[in-house]
Amino acid sequence: MLVYLRKRIISSLLPLVVVVVGVFALARLTGNPASLYLPLNATDQMRADFTARQGLDQPLLVQMADYFGGVLRLDFGESLRTGEPAAAMALRAFPATLQLAATTMVIAIVAAVLVGCWAALKPNGIADRISSFVSMAAASIPDFWLAIVGIWIFAITLGWLPTSGVSGGEAWILPIATLMLRPFGVLVQIVRGAMVSALSEPYIKLARSKGASDARVVSHHALRNAAAPALTVAGDLTVGLVNGAVVVETIFGWPGIGKLMIDSILQRDFAVLQAAVLITAIAIFVLNILIDLGYALLDARVRPTVKA
Amino acid sequence: MKSSSASHALRSNPVILSTVAVGSALLLSSCSVANSEQAEGDGAAASDTIRVVLSQEPPTLEACEANLTSTGVVVRSNVTQPLVERNPTTGDLEPLLATEWEATSDTEWTFKLRDDVTFHDGTPLTAEAAAFTIDRAVNSDLGCNVEGYVFGDDDLVVEAVDDTTLTVTTATPDPILPLRLSFVEIVPTSTSTSEKVREPIGTGPYAIEQWDAGQRITLAAYEDFWGDAPAYSKAEYQWRSEGTVRAAMITSGEADVAMGIGPDDGVGDLGVSYPNNETIALRLTGDIAPLDDIRVREAINYAIDKETIVGSLYEGTDKVAAQLVPAGIVGHDEDLEPWPFDLDRAKELVAEAKADGVPVDTKITLVVRSAQFPKVTELSQVLQEQLSQAGLNVELKTVETSQHLQYQLRPFVTNEGPIALLVQHGNQAGDAAFTVEQYMLSTGAQSTFGTPEFDALIADAGLTEGEDRQAAYEEVFGYQNEHVVQFATIAHQTGIIGKSANVDYEPNSSSGDELRLSEMTPAN
Repeated sequence: MLVYLRKRIISSLLPLVVVVVGVFALARLTGNPASLYLPLNATDQMRADFTARQGLDQPLLVQMADYFGGVLRLDFGESLRTGEPAAAMALRAFPATLQLAATTMVIAIVAAVLVGCWAALKPNGIADRISSFVSMAAASIPDFWLAIVGIWIFAITLGWLPTSGVSGGEAWILPIATLMLRPFGVLVQIVRGAMVSALSEPYIKLARSKGASDARVVSHHALRNAAAPALTVAGDLTVGLVNGAVVVETIFGWPGIGKLMIDSILQRDFAVLQAAVLITAIAIFVLNILIDLGYALLDARVRPTVKA
Repeated sequence: MKSSSASHALRSNPVILSTVAVGSALLLSSCSVANSEQAEGDGAAASDTIRVVLSQEPPTLEACEANLTSTGVVVRSNVTQPLVERNPTTGDLEPLLATEWEATSDTEWTFKLRDDVTFHDGTPLTAEAAAFTIDRAVNSDLGCNVEGYVFGDDDLVVEAVDDTTLTVTTATPDPILPLRLSFVEIVPTSTSTSEKVREPIGTGPYAIEQWDAGQRITLAAYEDFWGDAPAYSKAEYQWRSEGTVRAAMITSGEADVAMGIGPDDGVGDLGVSYPNNETIALRLTGDIAPLDDIRVREAINYAIDKETIVGSLYEGTDKVAAQLVPAGIVGHDEDLEPWPFDLDRAKELVAEAKADGVPVDTKITLVVRSAQFPKVTELSQVLQEQLSQAGLNVELKTVETSQHLQYQLRPFVTNEGPIALLVQHGNQAGDAAFTVEQYMLSTGAQSTFGTPEFDALIADAGLTEGEDRQAAYEEVFGYQNEHVVQFATIAHQTGIIGKSANVDYEPNSSSGDELRLSEMTPAN
């Protein structure tokens, strides 16, 4: 287990460094942010002062060395926009996204497993057709449109929910409903497919012939074998959400990492962008390890290599 | 996994397992984060709180950056105050922290300050604090935005003669120094001079109570405010980047005032429009063929059907523009006629230029900034079509803010041939000098060309005062339309704020830059 973790950490360091170096270099290719931060009528002298103050007049390699020197001392630089430490801004935004993503995925997975199993019990039955239609629709509706329509129906017309914001449990409902629809739709399809094939296996017939109930057959025999593909896809979908639910964060005023990254890109706020990318990359790395562990628990064939 | 029994339990129930593996670990790692404010709740805001929704979170509330719209809209006149302020309707300077001021020599101005003002920390306002503030904002290495915005490179010499008398000396005569100083928000001497301050102390009717980063800013009325107490004892700012959501917060009663609403955002009857001082225009690179021929630039002016644009895209609220500044700005010429829409004349001019060997078929790039203002995409398509009708070869290019600035500011993008740049110009200062020196002087930071005669006209106008100043800048705008034609002005814009029926407030041309909470009262 520890050996496995150590291997994973070492093999993930390279991608992390590549991501951060890449973002560092690419961000600087987009040009000097001086004109964004100085008044339109700034003089050349003011531009030069700004560039020097931000160290942007140095060669790229020198800037990079400075930056990574800082990172090793846990100094991620300051935001150009707000003057706050970049790490503080990223660390403040990230948990908001994480909470949203985690809650969304838990609900999406539970709902998808229930609906997927229900649909798989009688392929092409009425339940299957309904769930197939609903999940297809859920997976294809653009979240921007859905969010606006949700606000229009539930906040404006019915007045049941707040339009946006993060205060109070009610404010979570629309963002989560918007976010979970796509993962839910995709996962229902996966779970259904895996369950249909699992339920046609000989061991299921054996279980049934021993007199096991439908519920027991599904939960104890079929679902365990159908869970692996669902876990893979759920993992991918979670990574996507942790990466920043940009559209939902933007519309609902959710102060998360996706919104922070987009704003930092548009405002050429390099230090914040880098801090946000780094923290997201680390989170995705941790998430991938969790998914691997989940696999190991599900599938005996994977487990020994992990325990080694 | 260490515990085999736990592992067994999990293995026997894969539903729980997959959920736990992917989701719950994340939940555990992130508990107690974004919802620390649950107790307050949006709906709970009582009627003594005015709730404002902005289009973005202020990057900072630093007083010396208050000329930035996103900062100033919260800070100016609410938290901090300047010595004098410009009345956005009349354009006159009015006393605020200073009761009177006069030019005591060509280069020296003397200000008399009120003696009954205290900062939110209880310390009295003195001339020393005013001198300190100006010094900090203009002469320091902080890189304050207001320094570049209104003062340029020259330092000011400031002196507190006594507790209530301040003198400010400029390097060269500056007839509009008091107007420039109306952008400097006064802070106490305890303010840091080595770094910017995100939450300033001021003399305004409200003090900053709390800033929950990413969520909201609350202000509380300052008990010892020197003027009349504001009607609302608290103010709460939130921000949403989508106009439709801001509008929805008004219609659903979650906010009282919403800034920056577009005509299609669905605010309905709760939208109040106001002239926002912004003017839109095409700026033409007059040094690159075929735009170096004045006939082609005139043709562009004739080809744009401004009446239709204003009437159909902007529902008749915008006004067709003849110059870069709207009414209310010193130098605006009420009698200057906008270019008429005359497609035939435009075609003639292009044909004439072509006959003289001007390469009118050269591709002209129409550069616009995405989401710069409502319906900018539709407008740019209309412009492209109308210029094409006149016989020009126009290609549309949409860019984001940072790229747009590379076209807008010197050194310009030069390797893309002739460019018609859609600019949105807002003159917050109220004096044409701020526009003309930027956009029309041949060396102006946002001007692609000019002529020596025009430069001389502009330089002379800058030295004039009073009625002469008005006349001098009127002449500048007339001259640009007749002899230079760097611009094809389109419209003076109108802003919309959303306002709930519970609040009385009349927005004016400066509402977008400084939203005075003290002017808001509960509706009866």
